[in-house]
Amino acid sequence: MLHRESGVFKTSYAADMALYPLPIARATIAAIVLLFAVVLPLVFDEYYLAIINLVLIAVVGALGLNILVGYTGQISVGHAAFMSVGAYTAANLAVKLGLPFWITLPAGGLMAALIGAIVGIPSLRIKGLYLAIATLAGQLIIEWIINHTPAISGGAQASIEVPRPELFGHQMRTQGQLYFFLLFFAALATLASLNIVRSRIGRAFVAIRDQDIAAEIIGINIYRYKLLSFAISSFYAGVCGVLYTYYLGIANYEQFQIGVSIDYLAMIIIGGLGSILGSILGAIFVTMLPIVLRLLMEPVLSMFYNSGEMSAVISSFRLVLFGGLIIFFLVIEPEGLNRLWRNIRNYFRVWPFSY
Amino acid sequence: MWDELQFALILTVSGLSIGLMYALIALGFVLVYKATDAINFAQGEFVMLAGFVAAIALAGKLGVLGAVAAAVLVMVLFSFALERVVLRPLLGRPIVAVIMATIGLGAMLRGLPPITVGGETRAVTLPIGDTPIEFGPISLPPVQVLGVVVTLLFLAIFTWFFLKSRMGVAMRAVADNQQVAMAMGINVERYFALAWAMAGTVSALGGVIWGSMLGVDVQLSLVGLKVFPVVILGGLDSIVGAVIGGLIVGVVESLAAGYLDPYVGGGTKDFAPYVLMILMLMFKPYGMFGTHRIERV
Amino acid sequence: MASKRQWLGVTGLASVLALVAGAAMAQEKELVFGLQCDRTGATQTVGVFLCPGYHDYINLLNSKGGIEGYKIKVLEIDNEYKVPPAMEAHERFKKEGAVLEGLYGTPQTAALNKKLEEDKMLGTSPGFGTAAATDGKRYPYTFPIAASYWSQGAAAVSFAKKQLGGSLKDKKIAYLFYDNPAGKEPLGVLEDLAKSEGFELRTFAVPAPGVEMSAQVLDITGRYRPDFVITHLFGRAPSVSIKELKGKGYPLSKVVAFVWGSSEADIKAAGGFGVAEGYHTIQFAGVGTDFQVIKDINAMYQAQGKPVPKEQEISVLYNRGVMVAAIHAEAARNAIKAKGGAKPTSEDVKNGLESVKGFTLGGMVPPMEVTPEDHEGGGWVQVWTVKGGQLAKDGEWFQAYRDVIKKHLAATN
Repeated sequence: MLHRESGVFKTSYAADMALYPLPIARATIAAIVLLFAVVLPLVFDEYYLAIINLVLIAVVGALGLNILVGYTGQISVGHAAFMSVGAYTAANLAVKLGLPFWITLPAGGLMAALIGAIVGIPSLRIKGLYLAIATLAGQLIIEWIINHTPAISGGAQASIEVPRPELFGHQMRTQGQLYFFLLFFAALATLASLNIVRSRIGRAFVAIRDQDIAAEIIGINIYRYKLLSFAISSFYAGVCGVLYTYYLGIANYEQFQIGVSIDYLAMIIIGGLGSILGSILGAIFVTMLPIVLRLLMEPVLSMFYNSGEMSAVISSFRLVLFGGLIIFFLVIEPEGLNRLWRNIRNYFRVWPFSY
Repeated sequence: MWDELQFALILTVSGLSIGLMYALIALGFVLVYKATDAINFAQGEFVMLAGFVAAIALAGKLGVLGAVAAAVLVMVLFSFALERVVLRPLLGRPIVAVIMATIGLGAMLRGLPPITVGGETRAVTLPIGDTPIEFGPISLPPVQVLGVVVTLLFLAIFTWFFLKSRMGVAMRAVADNQQVAMAMGINVERYFALAWAMAGTVSALGGVIWGSMLGVDVQLSLVGLKVFPVVILGGLDSIVGAVIGGLIVGVVESLAAGYLDPYVGGGTKDFAPYVLMILMLMFKPYGMFGTHRIERV
Repeated sequence: MASKRQWLGVTGLASVLALVAGAAMAQEKELVFGLQCDRTGATQTVGVFLCPGYHDYINLLNSKGGIEGYKIKVLEIDNEYKVPPAMEAHERFKKEGAVLEGLYGTPQTAALNKKLEEDKMLGTSPGFGTAAATDGKRYPYTFPIAASYWSQGAAAVSFAKKQLGGSLKDKKIAYLFYDNPAGKEPLGVLEDLAKSEGFELRTFAVPAPGVEMSAQVLDITGRYRPDFVITHLFGRAPSVSIKELKGKGYPLSKVVAFVWGSSEADIKAAGGFGVAEGYHTIQFAGVGTDFQVIKDINAMYQAQGKPVPKEQEISVLYNRGVMVAAIHAEAARNAIKAKGGAKPTSEDVKNGLESVKGFTLGGMVPPMEVTPEDHEGGGWVQVWTVKGGQLAKDGEWFQAYRDVIKKHLAATN
């Protein structure tokens, strides 16, 4: 983070490669964890916790997509379809077999990973725009299959009601309880991502992104790693879908359509491709944009429009702003919010001796 | 027996005519890609924008020719502006950047109508009437016949342009290798602009015709999703490919809807073209007529 | 820069003031109604006409002193026809102390059913949502308050029966529908009726976004050649269906459309009333401006020196907004009276809604009766047909096949 690194000497390889090498950084992280785990739920009321819960779910999805698109360079427009695979798997297991969430969650993720690997097979042959369109095809096909298979979708309504997750006999219902539930998984996902990208697998992904033919020549099995990337990314997406299902209490395929895939792509672009922090920042930004926009614009616009028209103007404005921000970030700051953070951080790292 | 054959024939012809209209939209996409290497994910929104201009011009008593001219003018100017402001800075970036930029542009264009002119559906009424024109057992609505004629006209014009005219050859040179073209004295920027202007014109006509068929509102932009199977089948930078791809997609959709849907409860026409597309990609990764990209490490 | 900071500060101050003022105002006799609307999403063509109708009715009430002395504040949030904004809107309504919520959209209603029950806030889903919510015991806080898709399906069959001379035996009916859960919902009821009434039913699904259906319509008109066509389409699809059916030579007088394919906007987008002559539409609210309440609303606008709202041109949707607002107001009124004038909670308003009956608003609202068991109110509909350039009433309010509906409701439990 912003800490001075002078005076800290590492004496073993493990210390050098640790996630947080500076002792003061560990203390800061502990403080942040305390903030999130204890202070936040006490301070904020239900409404704000609901928003934060939505952000936590989005973080898991964005992390997964960034591993695929940002680190491995494979474009995927089908993220939402994998979420729905995970969601319906978990919903069916929970309702038909009565399994608890700590079984349905990994089950949903694994099923999504499997489907993701299958959808990723074209990536072994095609690249770039063609791959993006192939994943779009995957999204549409998966949507159609779920919609038209009553065994999966639970009937014509295509929604399955899911009981709230239970822990030691207590059902988690309020926004506060769900907050802890979601926070745990978001933190776990972040930690897992941080470790994946620093490991051998992560380095293989980056090699594929940069020059996949060269990577193949030096001995990286690009077929295996490409499919692994799709599988890992889809696992995250599946878990995201399951979390969303438990949060809402219902699995419905209309929540996982192509617009959602585009939203997640926007999150990682605005946040910064190829960075974990970027995924988190992007998820926060895109999820909260409509809400913050509305909070800011309402007092101003209520002087000109009545409540109904104002609502329409704000929504249209959000679309325009959303598109404009994507373009802005691509043109001006292609590495997204992550870069902005890094610039700030680098400035303070050596302040006041910036020379 | 004869009834079944007739049904199949009608389905096929209907598919061919719709397919040509898909090709009209795809032509805009292909023109841009062929000349400038830029991928326009917002092609549907272009058509929507042109439709809005035409609908408003018609409502303002401008007459059909005036409306079409207005649409062409707006689209050409818009394309110039787009190229300058958004695409120039993104030259040389990874492809995901350009795709996302046009996706963002699409979102902006979708959000604009409700704020500026109101989001209700407008009609684009062309003075060709509604009664279907009969060709034996087949009857097509006049607007589809017009669409077929326009598309074939554009196909002929563009093919001649790229093969025979000076400017067309120059544009192909620019698409092939920008540096060498510049060295040969070709003004690359001007040809980029020309390519976008041509794409804008095609989009304008597409907007008028599709707007007349479907009504003009924000949802009109969804026709843009059809572009992808068409251009992938035909090859991203082939004009003939766009037309043939469009024909194939149109017919496949039509036959799937007619024959497969009753068995599986509907919706096959949506992804049948995509399945075909994936199969094509596995065998010919650059489409039927697309140029093979050689990657250098 | 100083000017930017100043501007930011002014906005912040204005926001704070607005919030404080809002909180202060809440102390007065005021009730908050929440309304979700889609003004920018896939069904914006409906929302931009329906929601103004809602606002106008509430403004009318407020101008006459409110409900039993309570002013109504309507908080509208655009859910863009997506589920996360709908969830967030519900949380916001809860935070602002709303006593009821007007929902918008079938997937949104499905997602919120459970939350409504947990938060004890009633939500209304007129003409959409899950038909199973008719059962007040199963979904105590979800109120269709207008014919569900099952009731609409039953009514369409009943109307077809009437049009075809009183019997459907050995006749062929085609069901052209939008391929999503809402479109598929009436299938069970329709298949049941096909068996009991003796007609052949074939279904034709139109995939999203519903703008292309030439193959399906060709199949209907060219191969199947039914005696009647029932359509259940949304958004752009109804107008396209009118053009396609007419274009392939099928008489529109043999077509009846569900409630979301039946507005003036659909007919206009299809090319106008001249093109759609004979088209039958199912309505759950009155059509046109010939109602006392509409005249009162227009008088209110004229008294303020403003022109009559142009949304009234699409009277089908505008009146639906008015009707929803009126039913909400009735529920609140019942709740206030039951509490002897004290401010009701959302649970009181729910009980108030469950006692609405005999409320017809001069014919705009059907003679519905909402009970704790029947949250639909009876599934009353009316058919309006395009005649001579406008929509004309084609019969009185009617219900159809309630026994079949009840059977299906029991089966979902």
